[in-house]
Amino acid sequence: MIRLLRVRGQSLTPQIEDGDFVLTLKLPIFFSLQAGDLIVFRKAPYGVLIKQVEHVDQQGCVYWVRGSHPASIDSRAFGVVHAREVLGKVVACFSKS
Amino acid sequence: MIYQILDWIDRRLPLSRAKAHCDIPCGIYDPIIAQIAALTVVRMIDLMKDLEGREAVSKLDYHNSMSRYIAIKEEHAEKAKQEIRVIWGDYIKPQHLETYPHLHEVVHKIMGLGSKVRQTTDRQTAEQFVEAINEFAQIFWETKGIATKRARAPYAPNLELVYPVLE
Repeated sequence: MIRLLRVRGQSLTPQIEDGDFVLTLKLPIFFSLQAGDLIVFRKAPYGVLIKQVEHVDQQGCVYWVRGSHPASIDSRAFGVVHAREVLGKVVACFSKS
Repeated sequence: MIYQILDWIDRRLPLSRAKAHCDIPCGIYDPIIAQIAALTVVRMIDLMKDLEGREAVSKLDYHNSMSRYIAIKEEHAEKAKQEIRVIWGDYIKPQHLETYPHLHEVVHKIMGLGSKVRQTTDRQTAEQFVEAINEFAQIFWETKGIATKRARAPYAPNLELVYPVLE
């Protein structure tokens, strides 16, 4: 499934800036994530978030995510991201600069 | 070039958002601070009326206590207004207003009641202040998809507050 989204917030600065567009992809098969991937996921009560995968637990199908900004709200605040919460992996980013 | 095209499209047909959340500047919002501040206003009015009815209090002690109650009432009425202003200004977005078109009226009502409770010692007005902020709190939690419940505060003046139901 392909999604086009606009990023709001600075937690992935300078890799992704506020206002950038990202294209995400999630395939029903052959879909795997690894550390360093940027993912979009749904996390209550925050909504749809974008963060970078820091660690993958293949057995538990969960991901530990981080933002690059020191004040980022990420797995340090809400814990792991489950595979079912992942909406897609970022495959392209369109920045203003 | 692609960015400009996407930006043009987004302005006309807004795309979904992916939030790269930070504590700064996103902030943490919770109306409970305003609710407790409004409850404090009611409590101060109760204490003021209780003090007024006492006979065995020296003039000095009376003025000392009364001035303290008034000062706290002033402070917390303004604190409640300020907390609501911040949530309304920083958190509430146009899409929230589509679902809750009366939200501006609720905020305006809170501002008016917050001023009135500073000007008077009318308990009924102070209770309306608490209730208006409860109404705001309920809408706030609904925007986050979090259910609420009403329960009596476990301290005087034991009025009902709206609390989020968290797992």
